[in-house]
Amino acid sequence: MKQKYTVMLSVLLLFFVQISFAQDKTVTGTITDDNGVPLPGVNIIIKNTSSGTQSDFDGNYSITTAVGKTLVFSYVGFETQEVKVNVSNTINVTLKEGALLQEVVITGYSSNKKDVLTSAVSLVTAAEIEELVSTTSVDNLIQGKAAGVQVTAANGKPGATAFVRIRGTTSLTAGASSPLYIVDGAPLDEQDLNGISSNEIESISILKDAATTSIYGSRGSNGVVLITTKKGKKNKEATIKVSSRYGITSKIEDNWTMMNAEQLLRYEAEMYALGVGQASLPGVSATPEEKAFLIANQLNWEDRILRQGVVQSNNVSFSGGEEKSDYYFSLGHDRNTGIIDGVSGFERLSGRLNVNFEAKKWLDVGASIGYSRSISDEPRDRNNVQNPFRAMYDYNPYETEFLLDEDGNVLLDENGDPQYNFGSTGFLVTEAIATTPEVEIQNLTLFSTYATAKFSDRLSYRVQFSLNHENYRREYYVQPGNNLDIIVGNPNFPGIKTDNGFQEVDYTISNTLNYNYTSDTHNLNAYGLFEFNQNEENRYSVRSSGFASSLLTTQTNAGRVDAGSTNRTRITLLSYGVFANYDYKEKYLLAASARIDASSNFGTDNQYGLFYSGSLGWNIAKEDFFDVSWVNDFKIRASYGTVGNRGALGNYASQGTVAFDPYVGGSGSRPENIANPNLQWEETAITDIGIELGLFNNRVSAVFDYFEKTTDKLLFSVPAPDESGIPGFSINSNLGKIENKGFEVELTADIVRNDNWKWTVGGNVGFIQNKILELPDNDGDGVGDDIEPNTFNTLFREGEEINAFFLTRYAGIDPQTGRPMYYNAAGEIVTADLLTDDDTVLLDKSPTPDFEGGFFTNVTYKGFGLRTDWVFRGGNYINNFVRSNITADGTNPGFNQATAAFNYWKKPGDTNVLPNPIYGDEAQTIVSDRFLEKGDFIRLRNVTLSYTVPRKYLEKVPFNSFRIYAQGQNLLTFSDFFGDPEVGISSGETIDQGAAVAPGEATLYSYPTLKSVSVGVDISF
Amino acid sequence: MKNIYIKITAVLALAFAVSSCENELNQIPFDEFGVENAYVTAADFENAIRGNYLGLTGTSYYGGAFLSVPDVLSDNVTLSEYGRQTKTILHEWRYDANSGYRGLYQNCYTTIYRANLILENIEGFEGDNKNNITGEALALRALAHFDVARTFAKIPTQSADANGSLGVVYRTDTDPLAQLPRISVAESYQMMVDDLEMAKTLINDSNPDARMNKEAVSLILSRVYLYMGRWQDAIDAANEVTTDVAARDNVVDVWTDDSRDGLIFYIENAEDVLNLGLGVEWSQAGQNNLIPEYVASFQLNALYDNGNDIRRDAYIFDGTEAGGNPVNGIKKLLGKGTTFSGKVDIKLFRAAEASLNRAEAHFALGQEGPARAALDEVRTQRYLTPPAGETGTALRDAIRLERRLEFAFESQRFFDLKRWGLPIVRGSEGGNADGTGQPSNALLLDAGNFRFQLPIDLSSIIVNPNLQQNSGY
Repeated sequence: MKQKYTVMLSVLLLFFVQISFAQDKTVTGTITDDNGVPLPGVNIIIKNTSSGTQSDFDGNYSITTAVGKTLVFSYVGFETQEVKVNVSNTINVTLKEGALLQEVVITGYSSNKKDVLTSAVSLVTAAEIEELVSTTSVDNLIQGKAAGVQVTAANGKPGATAFVRIRGTTSLTAGASSPLYIVDGAPLDEQDLNGISSNEIESISILKDAATTSIYGSRGSNGVVLITTKKGKKNKEATIKVSSRYGITSKIEDNWTMMNAEQLLRYEAEMYALGVGQASLPGVSATPEEKAFLIANQLNWEDRILRQGVVQSNNVSFSGGEEKSDYYFSLGHDRNTGIIDGVSGFERLSGRLNVNFEAKKWLDVGASIGYSRSISDEPRDRNNVQNPFRAMYDYNPYETEFLLDEDGNVLLDENGDPQYNFGSTGFLVTEAIATTPEVEIQNLTLFSTYATAKFSDRLSYRVQFSLNHENYRREYYVQPGNNLDIIVGNPNFPGIKTDNGFQEVDYTISNTLNYNYTSDTHNLNAYGLFEFNQNEENRYSVRSSGFASSLLTTQTNAGRVDAGSTNRTRITLLSYGVFANYDYKEKYLLAASARIDASSNFGTDNQYGLFYSGSLGWNIAKEDFFDVSWVNDFKIRASYGTVGNRGALGNYASQGTVAFDPYVGGSGSRPENIANPNLQWEETAITDIGIELGLFNNRVSAVFDYFEKTTDKLLFSVPAPDESGIPGFSINSNLGKIENKGFEVELTADIVRNDNWKWTVGGNVGFIQNKILELPDNDGDGVGDDIEPNTFNTLFREGEEINAFFLTRYAGIDPQTGRPMYYNAAGEIVTADLLTDDDTVLLDKSPTPDFEGGFFTNVTYKGFGLRTDWVFRGGNYINNFVRSNITADGTNPGFNQATAAFNYWKKPGDTNVLPNPIYGDEAQTIVSDRFLEKGDFIRLRNVTLSYTVPRKYLEKVPFNSFRIYAQGQNLLTFSDFFGDPEVGISSGETIDQGAAVAPGEATLYSYPTLKSVSVGVDISF
Repeated sequence: MKNIYIKITAVLALAFAVSSCENELNQIPFDEFGVENAYVTAADFENAIRGNYLGLTGTSYYGGAFLSVPDVLSDNVTLSEYGRQTKTILHEWRYDANSGYRGLYQNCYTTIYRANLILENIEGFEGDNKNNITGEALALRALAHFDVARTFAKIPTQSADANGSLGVVYRTDTDPLAQLPRISVAESYQMMVDDLEMAKTLINDSNPDARMNKEAVSLILSRVYLYMGRWQDAIDAANEVTTDVAARDNVVDVWTDDSRDGLIFYIENAEDVLNLGLGVEWSQAGQNNLIPEYVASFQLNALYDNGNDIRRDAYIFDGTEAGGNPVNGIKKLLGKGTTFSGKVDIKLFRAAEASLNRAEAHFALGQEGPARAALDEVRTQRYLTPPAGETGTALRDAIRLERRLEFAFESQRFFDLKRWGLPIVRGSEGGNADGTGQPSNALLLDAGNFRFQLPIDLSSIIVNPNLQQNSGY
């Protein structure tokens, strides 16, 4: 074998040498951009050979070739140019900046030129990511970057991920509306995205319609986000890139103020005078001297609990390649301390190596290996004073952190430490932060390796093995002697330690057979897929108590083990697919796909699901008859297809299980879950029509899309006859239908583009509407029944918007009495005592935005740049429980209030005021839309002022490029909302991120959004 | 050439992957017990049958309400004005399709489903305990259908039209979505008889605690035959019950769980196992600060020959409600020993019933001598000086009276009146021990009234449109 190869090589060499002798000739030249700036690193290849070279630092090159050969000049971001070699020995080339539509887009198992794509795909490139950075999670990055993609940050906690909804909500099951994330071929959970450093990402493709999502079959119905990590370039000397950033973060100021001690004491007295307060409160009972003492020693709890945070990011990468190999290496360190004093926040260490080898002429192999370790110091996120963000509002300013003597000096304990003042709530959050540490450690390994064998120019086979491994560990320690331990612990076994965690391995083996046919007129790319995917998760949890010292943190030191358990789940997926793209002269485009998915969680009678799509496109601008000089690209495309959502289905939901209960003489087994062999995925059909335009020499590009998505076979527990006798008298079934419709626009324009100035603006917006078409009808009245999801006050009702708010309507106060008034079902204004259940009505309001988008402007002048990125949304409503609590109409005695609470009804004729506190109880207990507010906002997500040192100044230093910048995030917000309008999780321990069916429904003291100011430097050499 | 090797290798790799992956689609849960694993070994079936008995302990069934409801419906109790007015809709016969007794209906079918699941899965099993488990499951299936039938349908002897009227949905399969209609009363009872006769041939003579055995199945069978008016069959079945009627000295202790004399089938209710709080429909709290819901009716209390009939002491206690008024508290289900927590064993079948079933069947066949003898088997163990020697109608009435006295507060009275075609006639006395105070609001349910058949709950009909409602609702 080896010999044969040597012979082949010799022949090749001989051939090469022969040519050299025959028509040998050296061509030289300079390559510049259209501004005359030399371009280093341009690839120059002799067409139809693998020999080539690169331009040097000054854009000069030299290549040995022959007359009649064609040189191909290619450079990232520029249009590729071909020049035929003639008699001249000099070929100078001016490369044109690439048209915006000429990007190559990764669309699943293959990539495609955007020109011939027949699918609605949004792309976020490394260049864009680099300009934004400053977030620890990738999903937050794409907010405002892609039309039709709604991104709601879970909360402002360092390292927090987001709720991403691509073209709406396609499932009513909690946790089943997130897109499929694929990182270098392997799926990754949404909540693990914070394990990837944004510096490592080459591109993010967001697949939105069936033409491409259908390729992902039973996992594609929520859209697909393909994350591709960076690669090196062959024949390119190493580029070393160093990025460093440092910044400070702080809470965005509230648009209200809390009372200070003097105000609260006064408020307490006012309430008591009205007969609603408590006599024991100092505002009522304290003497003037005592009050003066309290005021003199008051504490601003927000200042005490919070601090300024630090964000820090350092990354270094090396990338390049030899003739037959390329590599990308990176190391990164990110830190975001957050703003809670005493909580160290989020820290991530990440590394990656991506390599590709041309092992043989017919064989490519490669691997990408990424690892990250994230440590997150967790604050409590619950709706009580254990949560710092609730405590800082609730704590009375006249209560101090430490006990004071009569002179106002801190009292010390026997160790000489200050004695905590647990105050009127009996719980001191600063003490808890110090003595109940909770830390989450996530080790994420992303591994992928492949081999591609070329059978011929047209046929190749690729096998890829991708594996993502998450090793998660959480430790929560209620230290012995801590206040919480005293409340909930056992005095004989002080201290409670919980260790829990899981190992999740998700691996995919993909086999693809690729057939590629290209001629001047016909281009066909077809491939067959065979793939196996398995996800296994192993969990453990152990809890012990009885620790001799708070320094002992492992459970081996515990007095006793209180609880311990392990769990395991596994799910497998076997897939077969055939996909094809065809175009005729890049004018007429055609694509089709079919995929069969067999998943272990489908019922045995429905184990195989077929998902298909078909799409068409027409590049009108490429037609000969089309002769509009200022229209460079004009494409119309349409697609239809089906996709599934197997995620709505529990791993074993279709299977029968039994559980055990004690009976006389031993355990008794009883059926628990009833097998439903018909149980299947939720299925979505998507229709999409799009228009893509490139105008004025591609300085303006625009994409318009209209889509309709209908999802049926929704998963519900559907009642069975009583005589079935099955547990719960219900069975998991596919029933129900919802619809999402929307319109999207993406626009980018280079308004100014000349030697010194460049001004680019761009933006996108997606409008979306959803509707519940069918729900299970259990009461037999012919109409689907209302379903109360796991939310505070929303409902699923047939014919209505998903998660419409279900509340009594507040009608303001009666100006004569100050009594809160409400609308009854008939629309009459009544008092609370006259309300019935029927007066709680479905409002035409929901937490889902009607539109969302972003826009940016980027101005560069010589080396200076000013970029601003804005995000906006509107049409959504948020139930503001925080406002309800801090303007509580006198019903929250003993807790601090906002100064706005003073503005209550005092005399007949008062309007635009809070209710008379004597009616406070009914004002607060009636669950009404009084605190339901519009969530519309426009936010300056990012503003960056940068200076890139022009190349000519860098000649004497070893740098290729040098950029410094100052960046601000969330510095400006326009909103009428009381508080911060970016609401994701209401309260993480009330409804956690995975269980949220209505993200953004309510505010309930979750970690607030932060603003930051940072400076950074990017150097490459 | 080389390409061929590559292709072959690739294709082989692919083929290998395909064959190994198909098996991976069969994933069985790790944290729960998959049904395919739950009915394999002899021990699995022991677990399963115990789980089937657990069905009996449902809170609307013998683990709760069904221990009281048939007496609440009858003339044995008076609604106490000192209680929380629980189950008044049943007591006052005001139920309709919107307030049916769905809990019992569902609990019974839960038991039936579990039995069917065992019967389906045991077919391929050939272990030693196969017959016994099959027998137990059949018996449980029959018993639960019987309880549905006597509550929601007519009893064959109740009236001439009974056998042709709507019986029950008799489930013998595990299809969760089947919407089956009701079959006739005659067909329903025949199905029960078939199940029980089969059970009797399969089940062990003796079984562990809280499990039925051949004697228990025979006793159920004798009751079913009695309800059907198949007198000789009732006698024959009852004759297979060999346990003696509890001795007079033990009668009081039986109801405080200090004696198990005469018990054929009971379910031990230990705090660390079932821990069921029973009898809350009768009363709560202690004897002297009682919160009574229902008290023994003045009429019933007077029927016990206090001092002579030991059952007055065993079944009724002299209580004082929290306000100080003396009431006739119901002692069955009060508690073990001297406690009053309701944590007391569930006693489902007792030997005395075999005697009284025989007495009734013999009388129906005109065999007064054997009838009297059977009746006296009970009476001699209850009275110091038992009544004796009745003939004719007096004998019939004596048998009926003894049945009422013996099984007061044991889920029998309502069904006995119903199958005898008699009205329910409550006394107009109040709930206090001396007959003063508030009487029950409803005092008479005529014989033949449609309310002797409880309504099928509307919700049950919605999920099974083929389910027919009883007439009158």
